[in-house]
Amino acid sequence: MANHHNTTEPTVHRHEEIQRKLALKEERKHHNVSFVMMILLTIVAFFAIWSDKISDSFAVIFILTLAVVQVFFQLYVWMHLSHKGHDFPIWGMASGVLVAAVTVASLMAMIWTS
Amino acid sequence: MATHESHKKRSGLMDWLTTVDHKKIGILYLLAGGFFFLIGGLEAILMRIQLMEPDSKIFTGELYNQLLTMHGTTMIFLAAMPIIFGFMNAILPLQIGARDVAFPYVNAVGFWLFFFGGLLLNLSWFLGGAPEAGWTAYAPLSTVAEDTGVDFYVLGLQIAGAGTLAGGINFLVTVINMRAPGMTFMRMPLFTWASFVTSGLILFAFPALTVGFFLLMFERVFDANFFNPDMGGNVLIWEHIFWIFGHPEVYILILPAFGIISEVVSTFSSKRLFGYSAMVFATVLIGFLGFMVWVHHMFTVGLGPVANSIFAVATMAIAIPTGVKIFNWIFTMWGGQIRFTTAMLFAVGFIPTFVMGGVTGVMLSVPAADYQYHDSYFVVAHFHYVIVGGLILGLFSGLYYWYPRMFNRVLNETLGKINFWLFFIGFHLTFFPQHWLGLMGMPRRVYTYMSGQQLDGSNFVSTIGAILMGLGTIVLLINIVISASAKHAATKDPWDGRTLEWAMPVPTPEYNFAQTPLVRGLDPLYVEKTAGNGEMTPAEPVGEIHMPNGSILPFFLSLGMFVAGFGFIYANWIVAIVGLGGVLVTMFLRSVIDDHGYHIHKKEVEADIKGGRA
Amino acid sequence: MNAGERLTDANFPAHPEKATLEGKNKFLGFWLFLGGETVLFATLFGTYLGLRKMHLDGPSGEELFSLPLVFLATMLLLTSSLTSVYAVLSLKQNKVRSLQGWFIVTLLLGLGFLGLEIYEFIHYVHEGHTFTSSAFGSAFYSLVGFHGAHVLFGILWISTLLARNWNRGITLANAPKYYLFALYWHFVDVVWVFIFTVVYLMGKVG
Repeated sequence: MANHHNTTEPTVHRHEEIQRKLALKEERKHHNVSFVMMILLTIVAFFAIWSDKISDSFAVIFILTLAVVQVFFQLYVWMHLSHKGHDFPIWGMASGVLVAAVTVASLMAMIWTS
Repeated sequence: MATHESHKKRSGLMDWLTTVDHKKIGILYLLAGGFFFLIGGLEAILMRIQLMEPDSKIFTGELYNQLLTMHGTTMIFLAAMPIIFGFMNAILPLQIGARDVAFPYVNAVGFWLFFFGGLLLNLSWFLGGAPEAGWTAYAPLSTVAEDTGVDFYVLGLQIAGAGTLAGGINFLVTVINMRAPGMTFMRMPLFTWASFVTSGLILFAFPALTVGFFLLMFERVFDANFFNPDMGGNVLIWEHIFWIFGHPEVYILILPAFGIISEVVSTFSSKRLFGYSAMVFATVLIGFLGFMVWVHHMFTVGLGPVANSIFAVATMAIAIPTGVKIFNWIFTMWGGQIRFTTAMLFAVGFIPTFVMGGVTGVMLSVPAADYQYHDSYFVVAHFHYVIVGGLILGLFSGLYYWYPRMFNRVLNETLGKINFWLFFIGFHLTFFPQHWLGLMGMPRRVYTYMSGQQLDGSNFVSTIGAILMGLGTIVLLINIVISASAKHAATKDPWDGRTLEWAMPVPTPEYNFAQTPLVRGLDPLYVEKTAGNGEMTPAEPVGEIHMPNGSILPFFLSLGMFVAGFGFIYANWIVAIVGLGGVLVTMFLRSVIDDHGYHIHKKEVEADIKGGRA
Repeated sequence: MNAGERLTDANFPAHPEKATLEGKNKFLGFWLFLGGETVLFATLFGTYLGLRKMHLDGPSGEELFSLPLVFLATMLLLTSSLTSVYAVLSLKQNKVRSLQGWFIVTLLLGLGFLGLEIYEFIHYVHEGHTFTSSAFGSAFYSLVGFHGAHVLFGILWISTLLARNWNRGITLANAPKYYLFALYWHFVDVVWVFIFTVVYLMGKVG
């Protein structure tokens, strides 16, 4: 078998098709909302630094949090990690993020000690 | 169903250059890895000859440094890993009832990248000298070395490493997506589990090494300043990156050996593996902890008591899941009907040897004590006990065990046992005295020692042991030659196996299973044997089988990388661009040439089944 | 049915990118690859964070970085991420022309981003901030340049993919490829979000 798909029936049930269209419409809405959110988060982060009104140490934590939130939008809405059938991708990314965090932390914290 | 007539049968050399069949790629990995194993072994014996007597002047200074660098690098990257990949390729798809790996084309790319990377690195011997900065290539030793040795090291391993990463992803997807019906995760054989976890470690450890090699290459070729303190750089960056990769690498190596031992011990004790789920859990836990302990290679750097203590505790914790495994192997043998075949001898020899390596590992994990052991022969003894006494004994065991499945011949048992005893005794003679040498203060990586320091005797014994190990390996080669010229083929199930790889006739059909088997429990073949069937129940009717086409592109893609490697080594940008251009062209060709594979007709499959060939 | 055949609205599966075993494998394999890429970029980020203060006599990040320019580049890449997700929506509805349109917009925005990055690098070199000038320089160009190389590779990838499949409609063979490219492009944007935050914004506050 070259193709494991189940679409040989000549007609798709009308009801199912309407449901699928509605789902896609809903999806498009989510994409648009997350785009607006990401733009806003970027602008907020930009002005948090640009305005120079927030203390540096707080600003760093603040913009890093914004970046993490934005990345969640990307991964879960635009890259569909929230959809069904993404268990192993989530495992893969979570493991990658864990190793990544350990790596960044060690290269930041453990090279300039005397 | 449309069939594609583009398939043409290739034969001879062209068949091997273009193959995407996991069984053939497995053999290629085994042969190439075996070849590099002989080279690495030869380098080891040359070093032992130099150290046989005090004040010896056979291989001194630079040449000795080249030997020790190339011995370590070759053994880890070009011998151990490819041989592991050979078994994973040849056996893993069979064990889960799959027709192939998930990405047959990428599989071929992975092999050829490794092959050309290894070739590039070893050509350094003839082109201005091999690298001499140790297999760890610590900066600034590696960044200030004037000759091109380290450039060969960086480029060769970068190319080989890319192939390894591709292989890791391939096996992860194969295990997740391509298991036969009924083959749940908790029914997978331990070798498949270990390979799965190892592939995960490869996926997350090798990218760090990739970046490390890029940084080192930029530093050497493009005058970057990551590791140059005069320009604000920091040498510890290399050391961290190397060990963030390097420690998981140790578990990448040993976990498949654990898997092999589990299969062999269970089969030759004629018993189900004791504590299967604990074994799975221990494997996963070792994989996870493997990422959290790399600083124990850097205790003497001076990261402070807090960092050292945290990593010491994490390191000691690994002894727990490893201990679980040791006990489970012993309990599997307990009360079993043990058959001491060569494979089983290697497995039984493995257990106490690996325990000894583990015990010295726990000793080394104590930072205060490590300040004494550091960079002495004690460390050399420790990691050879876990890598040779663990991994290599495991690989020998796997070779004798799976040889009939891979090559359709059984290796001679008498020669096998001679091989075992020579290698096993030789191993302990070589490395056991090195514990004392280390405790008496003999530093590693130094090409000589003076007489009258009580180092002479142990060094002499150590060299004798190394020669015995070499003899053992020669016996293996003789055994292989004899088996190849033997007339009768192996039977399909010579060991009364328990897992799916013994369910097919020999030679294994190119599509593995004529009908995908239905798995009805752990040790699926054993389940069917006890149910009185003797063979697997099919999960599907006989039908057309889809197969991927062979391709020469992986060979040329890797050749392009090889050429580009030379370009970077000699800073010849025309050669580099030609090589990389070749890589891009093959990638482009791959994406524009439609290749949907071909189908084996139902009639052919039926004929194979009738003729006992499937 | 053949994987290379044009799908019709009647036989169009709900998830064309995962309708074949090959598609499923590619989908999962690519996600895992992105997990590995995360570690790859993390190593570069770690190196940068370790060395970012080591600019010696050259200009520091605070003196160099021009935030409005980088902000513009961020907007370009963010928008291109949105257009590629629109292309995936078209893919799910078997609208091949709309898919091609959105991917071309993605491609153009990507080119715009690359143009800005090259302009920025040339500017920095004139300011005395080069790859070899200091550890900061080496780490900066490695991290940002690696990301730029990813953008460039993405542009080559989608160009080849679009050209090869221009008149073919959506098939079970090319649907996973379009989908994978979109994933890749989102990931490149994810990395950029962190570069924008960690390199540029944090560079301004020290």
